[in-house]
Amino acid sequence: MIKIENLKASIDDKDILKGINLDIPAGEVHVIMGRNGSGKSTLANVIAGNETYEVDGGNITMEDTDITEMSIENRALEGIFLCFQYPVAIPGVSMAYFLRSALNAHRKYQGKEEMDALEFLNKAKAILSELGLDDSFLKRSINDGFSGGEKKKSEILQLLTIDPKLAVLDETDSGLDVDALRTVAKGVNKFKNENNSVLIITHYQRLLDYIKPDVVHLMIDGQIVKTGDMSLVEKVEKDGYSWLEK
Amino acid sequence: MIDTLKKTSLEFFHKQGYPTKKLENWKFTSSKNFKNFSKKEISDITIANISTDETTLLFINGKLCLNTFKNFRYRDNIEINELANIEEKAILTFSDTFMNDAMFNLGMSEFDGGHYIKFKKQTNVEDPIKIINLFQNDTSDRRIVSFNIFHFEEGSQISIVEKDINEGAPSFNLKMNKFICDNASNLNFAKYVEDKSDCHLLSYSYYKVGKDVCLNMDSMNKDAIFSKEFIEIDLNNTGSDAKVNILNLVKDEQHLDNNILINHNAEHCTSFQHVRNILDNKSSTVFNGKVIVAEGAQQTDSNQSNKNLLLSLNSTAFSNPQLEIYADDVSCGHGSTTGALDENSIFYLRARGIDQSSAQKMLIKAFAKEVIDEFSLSSVQDISEIALDRWIDG
Repeated sequence: MIKIENLKASIDDKDILKGINLDIPAGEVHVIMGRNGSGKSTLANVIAGNETYEVDGGNITMEDTDITEMSIENRALEGIFLCFQYPVAIPGVSMAYFLRSALNAHRKYQGKEEMDALEFLNKAKAILSELGLDDSFLKRSINDGFSGGEKKKSEILQLLTIDPKLAVLDETDSGLDVDALRTVAKGVNKFKNENNSVLIITHYQRLLDYIKPDVVHLMIDGQIVKTGDMSLVEKVEKDGYSWLEK
Repeated sequence: MIDTLKKTSLEFFHKQGYPTKKLENWKFTSSKNFKNFSKKEISDITIANISTDETTLLFINGKLCLNTFKNFRYRDNIEINELANIEEKAILTFSDTFMNDAMFNLGMSEFDGGHYIKFKKQTNVEDPIKIINLFQNDTSDRRIVSFNIFHFEEGSQISIVEKDINEGAPSFNLKMNKFICDNASNLNFAKYVEDKSDCHLLSYSYYKVGKDVCLNMDSMNKDAIFSKEFIEIDLNNTGSDAKVNILNLVKDEQHLDNNILINHNAEHCTSFQHVRNILDNKSSTVFNGKVIVAEGAQQTDSNQSNKNLLLSLNSTAFSNPQLEIYADDVSCGHGSTTGALDENSIFYLRARGIDQSSAQKMLIKAFAKEVIDEFSLSSVQDISEIALDRWIDG
């Protein structure tokens, strides 16, 4: 689905990513763990095309299309979806208007007819119901006045509505209580299938109790230094990361 | 009475001269722009092709058009008098702030043919009254002065939508309006300006508010080339509520100045000022907002907010929110922000597949919508949203 080769990126002349190699085939869930400042969120942002970061080398390929130089919106339309660690609040733009605009941008890109308001509402309400959210959620401004849990559920609502090819979850589990965590995990499990992929960036095992990863990567100082299975998560929980530096 | 007032006003103006930038209220708007205009006699006026209906009051160059008034639906609820016949000084005079402003005095010395329009007790208007101010001018550099007083007697509930239309050569329109809101009256006054002429506007609006009054003053300005507006509200009795919501859309080299003063002179009153400016190109705006809470005006609840969205590095917003509080049991807040579109918000929207231009438009609309949603009349909300779309699309 996505292939990253020797990706290097910096911000304000400070090197953050120092040669990332990652290959996530369709149907797989990959996890990246690492200390604060190791470059995990930078990787998520660079995949999404955040122009704050400078790509200094390497490339990102999405289903044989090189997206390294692609605009933010075109990457999204190609199927990349970033679940934000800190979703921004945008007062004055309703969730319904925003979601329908985003969905129809994707449909247009895919050569499909735009979805009318009624059809959209039916689709959105069905997803809201599964996430345990009230229909009034759609009338609220984007993330404005949302609790931490609601913001993350809003991200999952967007994920399930847009139905991209690759979901990158940037510490989506941070700051969630157990119920919200279960809801988020339920949403991600509903999303994943053999035709799409999930990249989870996290510090903790607790989300992985609900979403079983196929591959686990450990990241230190802008590089993936170890790749393995769920046993790596258990070792990190037990021993931290210092053993990787020996 | 009028003649005395005109005489003293002219003397005041001659003594003071045009306001300079040393004066706080004129610091960021030069009166130089008004000096090129002078009072000139207006030749015969042809009533333009303005469509009016039974809810419209038409003013031509500041004078009420009595022909259209004949068909006015609420004419039985209104008493009309020429200002020249008003002998009560209290009705004719404005606040000290205005009476000490040179340009106001110039206007007072020159107005001709204004009216005192009184809405009788308990008048309840279902559909908003439309006031059309038609400024017709056949020569350049003319100053057109208008002065009208609107009086809403006890218990009246009135909604008014005012629109200025400029025709002919660009003029300098100097407008003075006084609104007297008696006890338990409810006034929604909305002003809508979409003016593509090169007219200059200087307006003075004074609201004298009684007990338990609900006053909403909404304004949407688009395309005005040069406009300075003074609004002063005197909350003189208990239990009244005044809200001022203003949205200004400016671009090119347009300049727009809002000068708002709310005087809390009595207990248990609330006020709210919400002014948003969206600036593009080399445009500039001024927000000079002030709330004065007098000694003894306890339990005042007042909020003042000015937000400026700069779409260009060359645009300038001057913001000066002020509070003067002389009572000790009040809740007053004020705030001002000025900045460009938030890059993180643009990234967020683009990361969902929305293109950059659409994302920017969405954020501009969102910024404006927060004040449009506060407008008290849904019809004004609707036309403001349409005007906003047109403005954004250029």
